[in-house]
Amino acid sequence: MVYEALHEAGFDSTYYHYRNLTPNGTNAQPATPSVDAFRLSEFDTETFLKKHTRRLDGGFRSIDLYLDGVHCAACVWLVERLPFERSGVQEATLDLPRARLSLTWNQDETRLSDIGAWLGTFGYTAHPLRMQQSSARSAAEKKLLTKLGICWALAGNVMLLSFALYSGLAYSTDTNLTIFAHWTSLLLALPAVVYGGSTFFQRAWSSLRLAWKGRTLRNLHMDTPIALGILVGFSNSAWATITQQGEVWFDSITVLIAALLTARWLHLRSRRLAGEATDRLLSLLPTLARRITPTGSVEAVPAEDLNRDDLLEVRAGDVFPADGLITQGRSTVNNAVLTGESKPITVAEGSMVEAGATNMSAPLHMRVRARGSETRIGQLLAWVQEGSSQHGTFASLADRLSGYFVVSVLTLAALTAGLWLFLDPSRMTTNVVALLVITCPCALGMATPLAMAIASGKAARRGLFIKSDHAFETLTKLGTLVLDKTGTLTEGRMTLVAYEGDEPALDLAAHLETESQHPMGIALVSARLGCALPSVDMGDLPKPDAYEHIGGQGVRGRVDGHDVLAGRPEWIATQTTTFPMQFASAVTQYTRLGYSPIAIAIDGKVQAVCAFGDPIRSSSQAILDHVQAEGKTVYILSGDHSEVVSTVAAQLGIPLSQAHGDVTPEAKRTFIEELQSRTTAPIAMIGDGVNDAAALQKADVGIAVQGGTTASLVAADIFLTRPGLQPLMELMTGAHHVMRVIKRSLGISLVYNVLGAAAAMLGVVNPLVAAIAMPLSSLLVVTSSIAQRSFQPLQPLTQTPTSNQVMGLPFSTPQRPTGT
Amino acid sequence: MEVIYLLIPVAIALAALGVYGFRWAVHSGQYDDTETPALRMLMDDTPAQPGDTSV
Repeated sequence: MVYEALHEAGFDSTYYHYRNLTPNGTNAQPATPSVDAFRLSEFDTETFLKKHTRRLDGGFRSIDLYLDGVHCAACVWLVERLPFERSGVQEATLDLPRARLSLTWNQDETRLSDIGAWLGTFGYTAHPLRMQQSSARSAAEKKLLTKLGICWALAGNVMLLSFALYSGLAYSTDTNLTIFAHWTSLLLALPAVVYGGSTFFQRAWSSLRLAWKGRTLRNLHMDTPIALGILVGFSNSAWATITQQGEVWFDSITVLIAALLTARWLHLRSRRLAGEATDRLLSLLPTLARRITPTGSVEAVPAEDLNRDDLLEVRAGDVFPADGLITQGRSTVNNAVLTGESKPITVAEGSMVEAGATNMSAPLHMRVRARGSETRIGQLLAWVQEGSSQHGTFASLADRLSGYFVVSVLTLAALTAGLWLFLDPSRMTTNVVALLVITCPCALGMATPLAMAIASGKAARRGLFIKSDHAFETLTKLGTLVLDKTGTLTEGRMTLVAYEGDEPALDLAAHLETESQHPMGIALVSARLGCALPSVDMGDLPKPDAYEHIGGQGVRGRVDGHDVLAGRPEWIATQTTTFPMQFASAVTQYTRLGYSPIAIAIDGKVQAVCAFGDPIRSSSQAILDHVQAEGKTVYILSGDHSEVVSTVAAQLGIPLSQAHGDVTPEAKRTFIEELQSRTTAPIAMIGDGVNDAAALQKADVGIAVQGGTTASLVAADIFLTRPGLQPLMELMTGAHHVMRVIKRSLGISLVYNVLGAAAAMLGVVNPLVAAIAMPLSSLLVVTSSIAQRSFQPLQPLTQTPTSNQVMGLPFSTPQRPTGT
Repeated sequence: MEVIYLLIPVAIALAALGVYGFRWAVHSGQYDDTETPALRMLMDDTPAQPGDTSV
C-alpha cells in the first residue's frame, strides 16, 4: 500500500534510487501506512498547538516532531518534499540520525493533521517531542563544544609562541622579545584557564569540600589533581613572567585543558546518543478521550481535561485514558502493560478498569474515577520521574584512585623540594613545578571517559543503548539478577502449547477463529493454519458460515458443514451432553500448570481440548544456566499468576523459592529494596513493562528490553533493542571487556606518571620535555581506548538439548509451527 | 624583528574572528546534525514531476 502511495505521487523511481544511496545500508522493514485519524485530530487542537509549537512571523508556526520509520536517504528526500506537496508548508527539514522533523507551516492553509496524514500514507508516524530533556542535554553539549573549540585555538597559539621559546629565545639574548612572548602567552593562557579550566575547578572544589566534611580521601575524584596541576603551573608561570625569570609552562597547561575537554565532550556526546534512543517518548496514555456529553453525543477531549464522573466511550482497540468503572458493555481487556499478564480479562458493568490497559473486543462506556497523575499508572510514572533525577554521581575506578594519587604527588613534591634544597636551591621551584605539571593526570583523566564513549558507540551499534556510566562497572560486579517473566524469559504472546484429541477438530476451530482478535484465536490459527492474522490470503480457506461470539465464553459457528464450538471448558460442558473423562482430566492438568484450556466441540461432541500459554524463549535456558554457574542468584518476579511462574521456573531450573508470581509493581520495588538491604553485591533488574518501571529504577542496574513501555525506558539504565536474554550476555561480556580496557589505559598512564615524576625529581624536565611527554601519553591512552574489542557479535551459547522446551507433559505435543 | 610586535596581535585578532565564527556555528546548530546534509547533497534541485523517470 505504501508502494501504491509512492507510485500515485510519481515518486517511485526517485525514491528507490535514493534508497540505495545510504552508506550504512538500511535496515528497512516493509512500511505499512499508518493513518490514525483520531490521534491526528489532536494535532489541530488549541492545547496541542500551544504546547508544542512556536509562533513565527507571517502567521507561520514551527514544530519539531519525532518521525517514526525514517531510516535512509530516500526518506529524507521524501519527507523534505513536503513544501512542494502541501501548500502552506514553508520548510521541512529532517534530521535523519535523530529522526526529527523541523516543520514550518501555516496552520490556516494546511492543517497539521493533514500533514501527519500525508506522512502516514508512507508509513511515517509523527509524534510530538518531549522538549525538556533532550534540549537541556544538547545545550550542555553545545556549550562544551564551544568551550573546547576556544581552548584549542588558544592552546595552538600558545604552542606557536612556545616554539620560539624552545628554539632559544631567552632573556639573555632578546630581552624585549622574550618579555613579549611570555606576556602574550600569559594573556592567551588566562582565558583558557579561567573559562576552560573552570569546569575542573568547580568540580574539584566541591569534591574537596565533601572530602573535608567527611575527613576522607574517598570523595576526591580525577578533577582534583588536574585542578591542582593547572593552578600550580599557571601561577608559577605567571610569577615567572612578572619577575622575568624562570620557566614558563603555559603551553603544557593549555593543551592539557583542551585535551581533557575533548575527552569529556566525546563522552557527553556518546551518552546523548544513547539517551536519545530511549528518549523517543511516545505517549503511554492516550492524550485524547471520547467523552459522552449529557445530550448523548461524543466529543473528543484531551485526557488531561477529564473530570471525575465523566462518562467515556472506549472503542475496541483503544487504550483506556483513565481509571474508572464500566457502566455499559461487556468486553475483554488486556492488562499486560500493567501486570504482565498475557491473558485477557473479562469486564462487564461494575468492573474496574485502569488507564493504560487496552480494550480488546467490544465498545464500553465507563465512568472516570481517577485521571492523569492520580491513576495508578500516572503514579508509577511520577515515581519513576522523581527517582531518576536523584541518581548520584558515579565514582569511577579512576576517581577512586585520585585520592591516593593526590597524596602521592604531594609527597613526591615535598621530597623533591627537600632533595633540591639540599643539592641546588636555585632549581628547587623549577623541579617541584615540573613535577606537578608533568604528573598532571591528562592521560589518567581521559582514560575512563574515552573508553566509555567508544564502548557505548560500539554497544549502540549492537542495539544495546547504555545511558549511565556506572553501568559498565556495576555489570561486572553483579551478584543478583531479577528477571521479569513475560516478554523477557518468554515470548510474550499466547501460543498453542499442547492439545489432546482429534487434530481435524482443531483445524475446524482454527477456521472458525480466522476473524478473531482474541490472542488465543490468533494463536490457534497460526499454529494450525501456519499464518499470522490479519492476513489477506485467506481466500482459499473455507470461510465459516455462521459466527457468533459469546462474550467471555467462546465462539460458535458452522464450518464446512459442521457445528463448531470452541471456548472455556465450563461453558462447553453446558452446551454438550457429555464431557469425556480424558478431556476433563486434561483440562485439570492444564489449569494446574497455569495454562489456559480451551475445549472444542464438533456437532455437539467434545473432540479436543487444547492449552495455550506463553512459551519460553529458546535462548533463556542456556543463558540462565551459564549465569547461575557463575555464582549469581536469579529471581523471577512476575505479575502473572503464580502457577504460570512456577511452571516457568521449574522449566528453567530456578529454585521455586526464587520465583514469585502475582507481584504488583509496588511489590517488585519493595522486593528489590529488601534484597539491597540484605546483599552487598549489586542487583540487576531486567524487565519491559510499566509494572517493572519502579523496580528498574530502584535496582543498581535497570535493564529495559525491546518492546518495553515508555516508563521502563525512562527508568532503566540500559535499553536492549533485541528481545530475549541473548543481548544480556553480550552486555555482560562487553562490560567486562570495557573494564579491562579502562584498566589497561589507567595502567599506561600510571606508568607514564611514574617515569615523569622520576624524571622531574632528577631535574631532567623542562617545558620542552613536558610538552612532548604529555601529549605522547595521551596519544597512547587514546590508541588503547580505540583499539578495544568489546561488543563484537557473540555466538549464541550452545544449549543443553531438551526434547521440548515448552513442557514435559505426558500428552501429545504439537510440532513447533514453522515460522513462529 | 620588531615587526613581530605588530604581527602577533594582528594574528590573534584574526584568530579571534575565527573563534567568533566557530561560536556562532555551534550555537546556530550547524554541528547538531552532521550526517543528513551529506545525503541532502545528492538530491536534485528540480522537484520530480509525476511520472518523471529521468532521475
